[in-house]
Amino acid sequence: MLTRLAGGRVIDPGNGRDAVGDIFIRDGRIVDAPAGGTADETYNVSSKIVMAGAIDVHSHIAGNNETMGRLLLPEQRYASDVFHPGHYPQPRGAWNTFETGCIYAAMGFTTVVEPAVLPHQALQAHLELADIPIIDKATLTVLGNDDFLLNLLRRREGANAIRDYVGWTLATSRGLGIKVINAGGAEAFKNNLRSFSLDDEVLGYGVSSRAIVKALQHAVHELQLRHPLHVHCNNLGIAGNVDTALATIAAAEGLPLHLAHLQFYGYGKEGPRGFSSGGARLAEAVNAAESVTVDVGQVMFGQTVTISCDVLRQFNARNGARPKKWMICDGDSNGAGIVPYDYRVTDFFNAVQWAVGLELFLLTVDPWRVFFTTDHPNGAPFTAYPDILALLMDRDLRAEWMSRLPKEAIAVTTLASITREYTLTDIATMTRAAPAKLLGLKDRGHLGAGALADIAVYEPGSDKAKMFREAALVFKGGQLVVRDGAVLHLPFGRAICVHPECERAIKMRMRDYYEERYGISPDFMTVPDAAIGRPEPFEIIPCLN
Amino acid sequence: MAEAWIRGKTAPLDAAITEAANLMAGSRLPVIAGLSTDVAGARAAIKLAQCVGGVIDHMHSEALLRDLDVMREAGMLMTTPNAVRLRADFLLLVGPGLVEAWPALPTRLFGERRIVWLCPGTAARGASAHQNVVVVGDDPIDLPVLLAALRARCAGRPVANAPITMATIDVLVAELKKARFGVAVWSAAQHDSLTVEMLCGLVNDLNEGTRFSGLPLTTADNAPAVQQVTGWMTGFPLRTGFGRGLPEHDPWRFEASRLIDSGEADCAVWISAYGAQPPTWKRDLPLVAITAKPDTLRTHIAIAVGRPGIDHNAVEHLAATATLTAVSASKPSTAMSVASVLDKITAALPATRLC
Repeated sequence: MLTRLAGGRVIDPGNGRDAVGDIFIRDGRIVDAPAGGTADETYNVSSKIVMAGAIDVHSHIAGNNETMGRLLLPEQRYASDVFHPGHYPQPRGAWNTFETGCIYAAMGFTTVVEPAVLPHQALQAHLELADIPIIDKATLTVLGNDDFLLNLLRRREGANAIRDYVGWTLATSRGLGIKVINAGGAEAFKNNLRSFSLDDEVLGYGVSSRAIVKALQHAVHELQLRHPLHVHCNNLGIAGNVDTALATIAAAEGLPLHLAHLQFYGYGKEGPRGFSSGGARLAEAVNAAESVTVDVGQVMFGQTVTISCDVLRQFNARNGARPKKWMICDGDSNGAGIVPYDYRVTDFFNAVQWAVGLELFLLTVDPWRVFFTTDHPNGAPFTAYPDILALLMDRDLRAEWMSRLPKEAIAVTTLASITREYTLTDIATMTRAAPAKLLGLKDRGHLGAGALADIAVYEPGSDKAKMFREAALVFKGGQLVVRDGAVLHLPFGRAICVHPECERAIKMRMRDYYEERYGISPDFMTVPDAAIGRPEPFEIIPCLN
Repeated sequence: MAEAWIRGKTAPLDAAITEAANLMAGSRLPVIAGLSTDVAGARAAIKLAQCVGGVIDHMHSEALLRDLDVMREAGMLMTTPNAVRLRADFLLLVGPGLVEAWPALPTRLFGERRIVWLCPGTAARGASAHQNVVVVGDDPIDLPVLLAALRARCAGRPVANAPITMATIDVLVAELKKARFGVAVWSAAQHDSLTVEMLCGLVNDLNEGTRFSGLPLTTADNAPAVQQVTGWMTGFPLRTGFGRGLPEHDPWRFEASRLIDSGEADCAVWISAYGAQPPTWKRDLPLVAITAKPDTLRTHIAIAVGRPGIDHNAVEHLAATATLTAVSASKPSTAMSVASVLDKITAALPATRLC
């Protein structure tokens, strides 16, 4: 069957296209305009905007930690939008897998990456992802606080051993890429350290955080993974941590490196409260480091919950929980912490955080290297996305928000001086074309022939947030799933993963290691297709080699 | 071998499924309880509850919610069995019921480390079998006061009326503070939530100077896994109802036994695939029992199912790692799984239902 979307403004930066025209769909894929043939069905989308389905590179939507968060905060709901001066959001749905898929789809998102899966917990993460309707998913596997890797480094076993181990872990946990979270910091915390920086050494292993990051960066490169090493730096959330982020950017040394939720590392120590924006300095460094990509982790105001495998940071944050309840877990490798938080418009620090995120968006010049995230739910739930897009596209709206925030907070940032407004092409690049490139998903994020027919159609209007909150039409794999923001069908997508070939030697070695260290077989962590409970739950894509 | 019974008489499976579906569909408020099943069974139970506007509760919800209550009222530091095994230099075992909750506890965790067992009660004899276990206190009834005394002495405050001598308390406090990675182990099935909160408060306080964490032992019948499934599918813990179309959670309102004994619920599904525990409620009501060994006489409809991980493959909670794991059937049989029975009931619901 041939489907035609007729007469929309097609914004497709992946193919350099921004023009009024048609899109044709056949068998779930986008096809070239057929010569002479007529479409079996036609959607008139004239005066509307047509983009590829959006891709989220960093959103905590599944796994033990999210579900512990759900159990800890039964009062938490997905909201209609965000708190802003004079407006209170309404509850929109329960914080569960079903609503996650429906709300993402309603906004025109069709692929979402869960960025923090500990290898031992991979099965649960994939079971949860399988219960999220409509969207496709992928996971990043967390390494960098695991005894096996630290021992490889301690014994200086060399790059091949590390590559084999990373490949085995990735294949076992069914991930798309590798993430490192406060490398060495969780191990240091178990040894009663309360802070840990890039050049600090992990007790007992004689290896620095920097060395762990570099080793993983090289292993990812050698395995020819599509997504570069995804880094959660040390010292998250602390005044003066901009220096840590700058040092980590410098440590990329020309190889690809992705820095997650950079906003949380954008803090200087200037100003009357010893807390200021380092956003401009960071953006400048990102602009200069061409191999580095970042996502922002924008803060928005309202109740949320911080969920992180950075157990050291979450432990230090627990006494600031709003409301006062929390869970901290010393895990097998990284561990986890769940600390509820209410970002308040009257709070100096929260207002600075909000401004730092926007500075990073607006001062990073290349929309191909800055990605759109709130580090859901850490900076804000993903339901805040439409409001953030509106702020990026409208400096008057930003000025209105700033006028209601603490003046001394805005004064320690450069936000008031920034006039840039994102264009629709910038938005389409940042949320479609660039993430597909960053993740190595060649048939997503664009509208060229052969691409998966994941398509979002928006009705332009003066209320930009409304436009992005309720897509006029969304197609997933060619099937119409959303009309006017309402979900029509609930197909189930797949998890995209790589499967690096593992040699027998590493499999034997891991078996021996688990038997000796844990007294159990490593088989407990496998993620068999049949256990997921849906047909064809995985889409395996090849590594670059 | 018979698979299904209606009012005590063997019946074709299809007839039992149809009868169960009609019972659920005609019910004012059905309760799906027990939930002793694997992940697939839990998923299917939640789906059925959504379709019929029912309530879900697990036979061990009480203990699960006790730990959760502490987390939700205060905060909790915890760790994994693996981390304890590898790192803990000091174990504080708290109260009775620990080996019952996790039979592998001694072999997994009683290795080369200092171990103090507070008020083991009847477990004292078992404790003394292990050379490196020192028993402090006796009767578990003393635990709340003893934990409060330890916490007070940790903070340097005076204490009166402690159940054991002050000298013993102070020696133990010194040991707790000296531990480099200490872990307190408890089973919530044995304590009220205030006792667990006092213990977790003590663990938190100890982190002022050193590292200390907690290991809550979870209950049997795959309860932790079922709680996780409920968490991700509904956004809430167990004791969640769908009567108003959307999931709502209330530990009191949606307790299965209370709903049934009070007459609010008028029909129940009892799921017990790991064993054959009977329900705890007292009132008789139309009951669909889906169990490994059905009590065919007492139930309206009984359906026999296999045991997860034995008769069929399953995803279950693994105590040794505190994670979900995929288990291959150890003695594969043709017995049905809970999930397949519940999915059949859901499929047989009258078409007027929304799901």
